[in-house]
Amino acid sequence: MENAYLPDVVEIAAIRDETYDTKTFGLRFVEPARWEAFQYRPGQFVEVSLFGVGEAPFCLASARDGADTFEITVRGTGSVTDALHNLEVGAQLGVRGPLGNGFPFDEVKRRDILFVGGGIGLPPLRPLIWQVLNSRGEFGKVTVLYGARAPADLVYKDDLERWRARDDVEFMVTVDVGDESWTDNVGVVGTLFPKADIEPQATVAFVCGPPIMIRFVVRDLLSMGLAEEDIYTTLERHMRCGVGKCNHCLIGDKYVCKDGPVFSYRQMKTMMDPG
Amino acid sequence: MSQPAAYVITRPRLAEWVGKLIGRAQVIAPRRAQGGDVAYDIVETPDQVAWDYSTSINPLKRFLFPQGDELLRWQRAGDDGLQLEPTYDETDRIFLAVRSCDLSGVLFLDRVFSREPEDVYYMTRRQHSTLISLTCSEPVEDCFCVCADAGPFLETGFDLQLTALSDDYLVEVGTEKGQELINQAEGLFAPAPDELIQARRDLEKEVEARFAEHKSYFAAALRKVTFDRVPDELWEEMADRCLECGGCSFVCPTCTCFLTADWQSEGEGHRDRLWDSCLYSCYTLEASGHNPRAQRRDRVKARFFHKLSYQFAKELETHGCVGCGRCIATCLGSNDMPTVTARIRRGAI
Repeated sequence: MENAYLPDVVEIAAIRDETYDTKTFGLRFVEPARWEAFQYRPGQFVEVSLFGVGEAPFCLASARDGADTFEITVRGTGSVTDALHNLEVGAQLGVRGPLGNGFPFDEVKRRDILFVGGGIGLPPLRPLIWQVLNSRGEFGKVTVLYGARAPADLVYKDDLERWRARDDVEFMVTVDVGDESWTDNVGVVGTLFPKADIEPQATVAFVCGPPIMIRFVVRDLLSMGLAEEDIYTTLERHMRCGVGKCNHCLIGDKYVCKDGPVFSYRQMKTMMDPG
Repeated sequence: MSQPAAYVITRPRLAEWVGKLIGRAQVIAPRRAQGGDVAYDIVETPDQVAWDYSTSINPLKRFLFPQGDELLRWQRAGDDGLQLEPTYDETDRIFLAVRSCDLSGVLFLDRVFSREPEDVYYMTRRQHSTLISLTCSEPVEDCFCVCADAGPFLETGFDLQLTALSDDYLVEVGTEKGQELINQAEGLFAPAPDELIQARRDLEKEVEARFAEHKSYFAAALRKVTFDRVPDELWEEMADRCLECGGCSFVCPTCTCFLTADWQSEGEGHRDRLWDSCLYSCYTLEASGHNPRAQRRDRVKARFFHKLSYQFAKELETHGCVGCGRCIATCLGSNDMPTVTARIRRGAI
């Protein structure tokens, strides 16, 4: 019998500062065979163990490419994340996963793809953005809209520049509050919609960000004419066990960790839950 | 299919048999504690089994899914890095004289923990367990197993089912594991005569009629909870009465919420699984400070949705209640199952 609660040991292979409070960790399995078995799709997540501190869920923030590492992007905001921020390259952690359902990919081929990320909501979208761009010919128009509170909150600055440089991607970025050096858009991410060339019926949208942003973005997308089943988001709950047993992430009868975390707006609408 | 085997054992021989069982495995049975309460506990001698008990203050849950349960240990051994070792409990256990509702509770846990992915800790304990139930002939004030389809007699689920009949116990065999126990008992059991089997059938009919007075209105409540037709004011009122003690969750044979906690010293440590309650205010709290169910009303609603909705009943084959009545005795705010279902049925406070 497989033990769903027993982590694999990984080593921190690289650490990159994203912002003043957010870091990206490249993780490598100590047992190479486990990496072979670790086949995942964008939108899935892992439970990361800091033994002695606890366990917390993080989305897989990198596409599986030639490397033997995968990335998680972590804002220091709780006991596990703060402890993670204090670690250095070479430190060993536990990882369980990949967990959850992941984004649709083959199902949305030939459609126009719209990515809308808010703040620390870009990490779950990042591997899907790269997966789409790596099969660019199989999709229609690709648009990436990214918003953050301030310039200092933008993550993946290298990726942002690479997306901006491509002529087969419409890329726009905005901040709620700019600073003296900021010359780009100012306003919530929804203010980019009128500037983008979006054909509602042809478009599938992937939206990730804080709950308040998701609410407004979904409302805007619906009023633009996108279909409910063409709007996808990843839901956040405190997923503890990650395998549909501990019940913490239940929304109605849906386990965010197992039935999600990716849901279409149509599914979300029928999910019965207060809060 | 042939008639399930039935045997008879006399009371003196029953004690002898229990003695043999105690020599072979850890035997857990109703045992009278100080103050007169009966609790399922480990028995060391046959006379410690409280055969005449009505109900136990605890269900069997803690023996199969302990309140604090070590899942794994780790060690940081210098250059060898991090070593992880899971902790499994392979103790052979015989659960003896278990009430039908509590055995039904175990069957419910089986369904929860055997769903993919299987919970290896629970399943390991369960594979090393034998269930010997004891039918009920006297309803207790608080229980309502008839409404929960969890007693007073069981058709399946037990390895052996005992029924007290005047001088003897009728023993029904439910599984090969149960038959094995009979075979190993070397002459303590005799095949049951037909009149004893008939007496057991008659007793069941007579008992069910008396148990039927103890009601919980599941069907009506299930309908309303499923379609979200319970007025918010009703959830609000129940929330006002909830002290967030978690008692209902802990005494419930079917509640399984848990979290984990790590303990560490000097480079080694262990991760334990602990019971949790969905009524606790921090249950859904996220590190960001966002709490999707910050309102107690929403937590009470979520609890009864999990217990009573068709969505879960379909998944777990029945609603999440076996009618043991422990929540009645435990909840100081009367948010117990029969009261809650009655209120939901009426749709009012």
